[in-house]
Formats: sequence, structure tokens, C-alpha cells
Amino acid sequence: MKNPHLPPQLATAMRQAVVLEYWNLFWSGTIILAMGLVLGQSQTMKTAWIEDTLGLVPPIMFLISAQVEQRGRGSKRFPFGFHRVNSLGFFVAAVALATVGGVLLCDAAIALLAAEHPTVASVVLFGHEVWLGWLMIAAQVYSLIPPMIIGRKELPLAETLNDKLLHTDALMNKANWLTGAAGLFGVIGLGSGWWWADSLAAGIISLDIINDGIKALRSSTAELIDGAPRALSSPELSDDALALRRRVQSEFPEADVRLRETGRLIHVEVHGVHSPLENRHPGHYWPSGDERSWRVAQVSFVPPADKKNSEDPSAQ
Amino acid sequence: MTGLVLLCGCDGFPRDPGETSQRVVREKAFRVAFVAPEISGEAPVSRLIRQLEKATGARSEVVPGSGEALLARLQSGEVDVVVGRFQAGSPWASEISMGPALSASGAPENRLELKAAMRNGENRWIMQVERASRVVGGGEVR
Repeated sequence: MKNPHLPPQLATAMRQAVVLEYWNLFWSGTIILAMGLVLGQSQTMKTAWIEDTLGLVPPIMFLISAQVEQRGRGSKRFPFGFHRVNSLGFFVAAVALATVGGVLLCDAAIALLAAEHPTVASVVLFGHEVWLGWLMIAAQVYSLIPPMIIGRKELPLAETLNDKLLHTDALMNKANWLTGAAGLFGVIGLGSGWWWADSLAAGIISLDIINDGIKALRSSTAELIDGAPRALSSPELSDDALALRRRVQSEFPEADVRLRETGRLIHVEVHGVHSPLENRHPGHYWPSGDERSWRVAQVSFVPPADKKNSEDPSAQ
Repeated sequence: MTGLVLLCGCDGFPRDPGETSQRVVREKAFRVAFVAPEISGEAPVSRLIRQLEKATGARSEVVPGSGEALLARLQSGEVDVVVGRFQAGSPWASEISMGPALSASGAPENRLELKAAMRNGENRWIMQVERASRVVGGGEVR
């Protein structure tokens, strides 16, 4: 299907990303099922299970926004189209992560302070008695594998598409080994008689969830309130945008150059000067090469407010 | 990580934070109490106690008392097993660990299950009592 908003050179990467996110949902579903079957009373397992369930939010939001981005054309009610659906999805994912991370951290702290001793009993499996902890460890080890592979595949696609939602998902997946290791420590510690290991591991995992959430929240909020374009992996200003700003500023030194981001695209406003006489494609202003010049969606010029002090180029 | 998991495969895993199992082996005794005095004479309960004695090589010591006060003593580690009749939605369900039912009575909506209760988190000891309860309840496992 032809995408009215997506630059044509990104169509292949977008298709691959959509397929990968469907696989992500499938494998995450198997992990959630496996972890859910062996939760027991362990706070670690509960926290890891909720984290895995929350991990569905970014891929679901990515698929929804990709769908809307593909089908949604501008209308009377939405004349600028749906470029920002991706940003909205990113914001929703960030709020979910930060909130649930906070709740889980409170849970873990209360369990630790109350010195709760979690029970991990036995189950009968095919006529054999098995300590549930072994099944928890198996589920935790399994939960490490698919995200690691998917995260590695997502990262280059997120960079090609300059997609923050996909990038957040890739980083969350890649970092999953850390929470998996914390989860294993929790269950093994519990089996070793260290009752506190379970709550401590749950606390570490929730801190990681909060960290992911806050980083994503800072970036997504900046975009939604027309902040300058942020880097993919941090709330810092993006190198691309800084270079673009320098490039435009060098051509219009007296102008006030403002950049904002809608989804993966950058809009440039050049205040205080008239537009050049010749027609230029927005990509003309891209500082280096043509490969990523699709990121410049629009360059608008806002003439000086005081006409007496400005020189109208059309009068020349 | 694999090494860590293998390390845990050694005998004695899981361990009890309150060392109930270790103490039972060391002192060759465990402390049992009954929520109601008449329970002690019931056949499944006697079989459970005998099964536990056989499995641990320890003798049972009956702790006097009745009612919920015993469950509080179980939580503090003064008693190792409390046997009683509990409802499915008992408010104690999250405060203590209950083993599989030895027998059941009453209508389905008010079903009372005769079962053993252990202190939360004493996972090795809980498994020991669960195993004995399954043998008495008819679901012998390997």
C-alpha cells in the first residue's frame, strides 16, 4: 500500500519493521504465557511479568501508528495529516512505563520493609514433584532469548526510519538481559534462603522500567510541545538537527532559525528573512548527502514583522 | 549464569530463610499444633504426622493451643506445622502457606478443607509437608 506520508526510500525498512513487530508480539506473548504460568508468590516474577506485558505497548503503538500513518490522509479536521500519531504512541508508552515502574517499586519497597518471606512451593508435573522455583528460572532464561534477538534487529531499522518508538522498543528489548539477570538473581536468591533477594531484584527491575519510562517521557514530551528535535537514544538535541540548524543559519545569518519535529520529519522555520527567489526543495538544506534529506519535510520563511525596516526582495 | 544455575542444583536447594528444615534435622523434632483439639485424632492427620516423621527421621512434638493464636505463633516460627480446617477464601491464605487438602467436607460454596499450614517462605519445609500431604491425600508423587 502506498503511504502518503512516508518518504519512498523508507518503504522497505518500514515493511521490515512492521513484520518484525508482529514477530515481537508473538514471541512476547509466549513469554508472558510462560511467566504467567509459574508466577507463584514471587515479587520478582510478578514484576518481570508485568514488565514483559508492558513491553507489548511499544510494538502495539508502533503498529497502530504505522497503520494510521499509512492510511491517514489529511482531512478538514486533521489538515496536517497524522505524522504525530507516532509521537502520541511514544508518549502513551512512556507514561505507561513510568507509572507502572513507580507502582512496582513501591510494591517491592513495601515487601522489603515488611520483611515478607515469599513462598515458592512445589507443583506436581507429570507425576513428579518439582520446586516451582526451577520452572521460574527456566521461564526467566527463556524470556531473555527472543527480546535479545529482536532488539538487535530493531535497532538498525529504528535508525534508518528515525523512529523513536521503535528505538525505545529496541533498547528495552536489548536491555532485557539485565532485568532477566536480576530476575534470576531474585529466584535463585530466594531458593538460597535469602528472602530479601526477591524484593531487591523486583526493585532493581522496577528502577529499570522507570528509567526507560522517564527517558521516553522526556523525548516524547519535547516533541509534542514543539521542542527542538531530540536524539533517538537520549533527550539531548539531535546531531542531525544541530547540523541542519547550522547549515540554514550559515545561509541566513541574520535569521532566527527554529526547528521542530513531527514524527520522523523535521520542520524548519526561518524567522526574520524573506524566502529565496528560486524554488528549493526542503532537502536542499540538508547538511550532508542526500540519504537522509527526506527528514526535512518543510522549510518556511517568516518575513520581518516591521516592513519599513526590511527589504522586500520582490521589489528588486 | 549457567554456572550460577548449576551451583543451585546442589543438594539443599531451596533453603529455608528461618532454617526450619535444618533445625528439624539437627534436633530430630518438629513442632505441630491443631486448630481444634479433636482434629488430632482424625485418621488423615495421624497419617500426615507419621508420614512427616518417617520422611524427616524426626519425632513430632505437639504444641498446646487452639484457634487463630496458633497461626500467629506459626508466623513467628514457634510452631512448624498447624493442621486445621480452612475455607478456600480464608483471610489467612496470604499470611501462611497451606499444603494440599488431606480431606474435604461441606457444600461446594462453603467447602472446608483439612490441611496443614506452614510459615511463609520456609520453602524446603513447605515442600516436605506438601509431599507428605499428597501421599496422605492420595496423590503420591515421585
